[in-house]
Amino acid sequence: MSMEDYDYLFKIVLIGNAGVGKTCLVRRFTQGLFPPGQGATIGVDFMIKTVEIKGEKVKLQIWDTAGQERFRSITQSYYRSANALILTYDITCEDSFRCLPEWLREIEQYANNQVVTILVGNKIDLAEKREVLRQRAEDFAEAQSMLYLETSAKESDNVEKLFLDLACELIREAKQNKLDNSDTAPMPGEGKTISYLSCCNIN
Amino acid sequence: MAAEDLPSEFDVVILGTGLAESVVAAACSRVGQRVLHVDRRSYYAANWASFTFNALLTWIQEIQAESLSEEVQDRSSLVEEGEELIYLSGSDSASISNLQVFCYVSEEAEEEEEPANTTEEEEAGAAGEGAAKEPSETESAGSKEEEAGEAAEGDEQAAQEQGEEPKADQPQPSAPPSQSEPTRKKISYTQLVKEGRRFNIDLVSKLMYSRGSLVDLLIKSNVSRYAEFKNVTRILTYRHGSVEQVPCSRADVFASRQLSVVEKRKLMRFLTSCVEETEEHQAYNGRPYLEFLREQQLGDNLQHFLLHSIAMVTEDTLTKVGLASTRHFLRCLGRYGNTPFLFPVYGLGEIPQCFCRMSAVFGGIYCLRHSVSCLIVDKDSNRCKAVIDSRGQRISCSHFVVEDGFVGADRKVATPTRLLSRAVLITDASVLPGDSEQQVSLVTVPPTDGRPAVNMVELSPSTMTCIPGTYLVHLTCQSVGSAYEDLSPVVTRMFCMAECQDEENRPAVLWCLYFNMADGSGVEPEGHDLPSNVYVCSGPDGALGHEHAIKQAESIFLKILPEEEFCPPAPNPEDIIYDGENTSPTSIGEEEEEEGLTAAGGEGEEKQQEQQEEETSLQPEE
Ligand SMILES: Cc1cc2nc3c(=O)[nH]c(=O)nc-3n(C[C@H](O)[C@H](O)[C@H](O)COP(=O)(O)OP(=O)(O)OC[C@H]3O[C@@H](n4cnc5c(N)ncnc54)[C@H](O)[C@@H]3O)c2cc1C
Ligand SMILES: Nc1nc2c(ncn2[C@@H]2O[C@H](COP(=O)(O)OP(=O)(O)O)[C@@H](O)[C@H]2O)c(=O)[nH]1
Ligand SMILES: [Mg+2]
Repeated sequence: MSMEDYDYLFKIVLIGNAGVGKTCLVRRFTQGLFPPGQGATIGVDFMIKTVEIKGEKVKLQIWDTAGQERFRSITQSYYRSANALILTYDITCEDSFRCLPEWLREIEQYANNQVVTILVGNKIDLAEKREVLRQRAEDFAEAQSMLYLETSAKESDNVEKLFLDLACELIREAKQNKLDNSDTAPMPGEGKTISYLSCCNIN
Repeated sequence: MAAEDLPSEFDVVILGTGLAESVVAAACSRVGQRVLHVDRRSYYAANWASFTFNALLTWIQEIQAESLSEEVQDRSSLVEEGEELIYLSGSDSASISNLQVFCYVSEEAEEEEEPANTTEEEEAGAAGEGAAKEPSETESAGSKEEEAGEAAEGDEQAAQEQGEEPKADQPQPSAPPSQSEPTRKKISYTQLVKEGRRFNIDLVSKLMYSRGSLVDLLIKSNVSRYAEFKNVTRILTYRHGSVEQVPCSRADVFASRQLSVVEKRKLMRFLTSCVEETEEHQAYNGRPYLEFLREQQLGDNLQHFLLHSIAMVTEDTLTKVGLASTRHFLRCLGRYGNTPFLFPVYGLGEIPQCFCRMSAVFGGIYCLRHSVSCLIVDKDSNRCKAVIDSRGQRISCSHFVVEDGFVGADRKVATPTRLLSRAVLITDASVLPGDSEQQVSLVTVPPTDGRPAVNMVELSPSTMTCIPGTYLVHLTCQSVGSAYEDLSPVVTRMFCMAECQDEENRPAVLWCLYFNMADGSGVEPEGHDLPSNVYVCSGPDGALGHEHAIKQAESIFLKILPEEEFCPPAPNPEDIIYDGENTSPTSIGEEEEEEGLTAAGGEGEEKQQEQQEEETSLQPEE
């Protein structure tokens, strides 16, 4: 299991208010399902999907909140060593957009500095119920130097693109970092790869 | 956020997110119990928490402000026939006392650093000013001035005035940079605040024994996937006024420059002979370990190392116990590195959170800033059948687990209050600079003239608990007096305060905090005047490892669910492969083989050679 066949491994973490469609986005991307079966997330920590980008195998480890966002009680450790954050709101729910600054504060506290953040407005299939104008969200994202994308987990609009764009960006950064830090080892936890080393016992 | 209501029925309700409570939460959710886990605080891990520098300042302020004891709301309207109420205590602020803060660095930035994120600056600055105000205890700490001499007076000034006018710090153009540490540069208070988020400052100071029950549990349950760990790279001891490295692994012993060839041979022979219990050992069982060590003709050096740094016992500890400790140390040695210990990257506060995450993944519901104000007890069965939360909602449950601090004193078995003394220092250099600046060290300071033995842990930035150019130093001992009285003598001996020009080249303290914390090992797990399905978890104890909390959690779990397995491995998501078209999970590994912990980035390349030789990859023991 340890010698897996991939060129990059990235940890992607989803955040945003409850009900905006985070779990659906993950499920749509990893399983092609909508809506996901009820209670299906019990016991599943994160989902894995390996994609190929320009001939390179990229393994995406996608973490969901485990429901801890419901009462604003996400553990700090959830943000640690994430390479990318998908900050999601629901375009039909003004409130989920207004909470974004709060989420950004949390990111700033606990995520590492170089984390790539993308803002996602989900549920564009419900265009008639839209409460947050695209321009407004784009302006907000730009001001916070985030990427921005609108998706529908239901219609599978832009979902693939979301994760693939993110993967491209992460590869780009990883290559950049390699150049920049060619002689300094990355700090643990800030490194771009996560690996579960098996223990070695000696006596 | 909309105040969504909680479900009104659970199997287990848990109040407090300390280590034991969090392990119970994970264990119960894991086997399918419906768990509600709440904490009155806005952060996880209770007295086991780690804080950014700014969050620590806020915590200090809150402690000093003395909790505004919330008004007890009358909930009797929610009580039905045959029920009675037990009110819980609103806060646990009593567990922290004698808090004192000292700042030895200038408010002004003396050196242009790379511009850090400035968004936090304002709030953090405000918190900093608040923290500068000393609690009233300080003034009455009589012995302080004698102890720390003039330094202390200066400090106190600095601490009190740090908001406005730092008097202590003049730029030091004349101070030559010390030779061994050419990169040592001055760090300002502003910088500590600006980069505050990169600190993770633990309220407790512990290490993880590599074969202790916490590590075993992390591995067994797969909770280890939520954290990364660093090896403690050195064990040091303070002796004859200086810091020395304790050779503890085979490689260390051979590489040691302090030991003579004869000593090396003696030490190796002794350690080898310890592993198996012999008749000679038994003969000494009832006598002090020190006597036994003397009998071995090991000499002062080795005797000191063995007693204080390897067994970590006192002079009157019995041989049986001393040998058991020594064996345990040896057993833990070399599993992950050259010492028996690991430390979690980002601090110990991660550990309870990791268990909370596991609980949430298995359906546990999490709610910070939320408390339980009282229990509803069925008079006939004397069991707690429901709780009333801080919003007045009645939530039924079959079991209630609570952090000791929330239980009113009137309900508890009276026990003499034992305290721990703690100090947290941010320093500018290691107590023993070495080839690598990224050492993580345990320093044992033996007892001196009536003062208790002090455990000191020095963390480098590689643990992600402090910023580059600094070290985070934690001191802990059983208290005799206040934390300041107990620990400042050690601090003044081993460190200098930032403004002084130190000939001995000791590390400078930039900022420090002293406080006492209630010792969790002093809390009785049983016998309180509480319903039989209410279980009390104690706060952190003073031992170096995590045995106490883990054992407690397991025993509570077994009382709640005697038939169930404690923290069986969670399925490994790596084994659930979804690839595009294929919609059904390919496999879910139920019987996981032992995965091990993520030991982040190996340190000490110089040791790598020897280590590799020793690393015969054994299968995990059962
Ligand atoms: C002095 C001492 C302090 C310890 N402190 C910690 C700690 O703070 N945190 C931690 O995680 N682990 C600590 N341990 C180890 C822990 O208590 C267990 O020994 C550990 O979990 C290993 O379990 P085991 O099944 O391998 O060994 P066990 O079979 O449980 O124990 C091995 C031997 O150690 C003895 N022993 C175990 N615990 C103690 C103790 N506390 N004091 C004296 N003798 C003991 C036992 O009697 C036995 O002879 C300590 C061990 C000792 C000896
Ligand atoms: N119409 C529509 N509904 C969606 C979409 N994504 C999610 N939902 C619905 O929104 C609700 C919440 O989704 P979920 O993924 O559980 O949100 P989470 O709490 O952020 O994980 C569910 O009822 C989904 O069916 C979408 O793209 N379009
Ligand atoms: Mg969800």
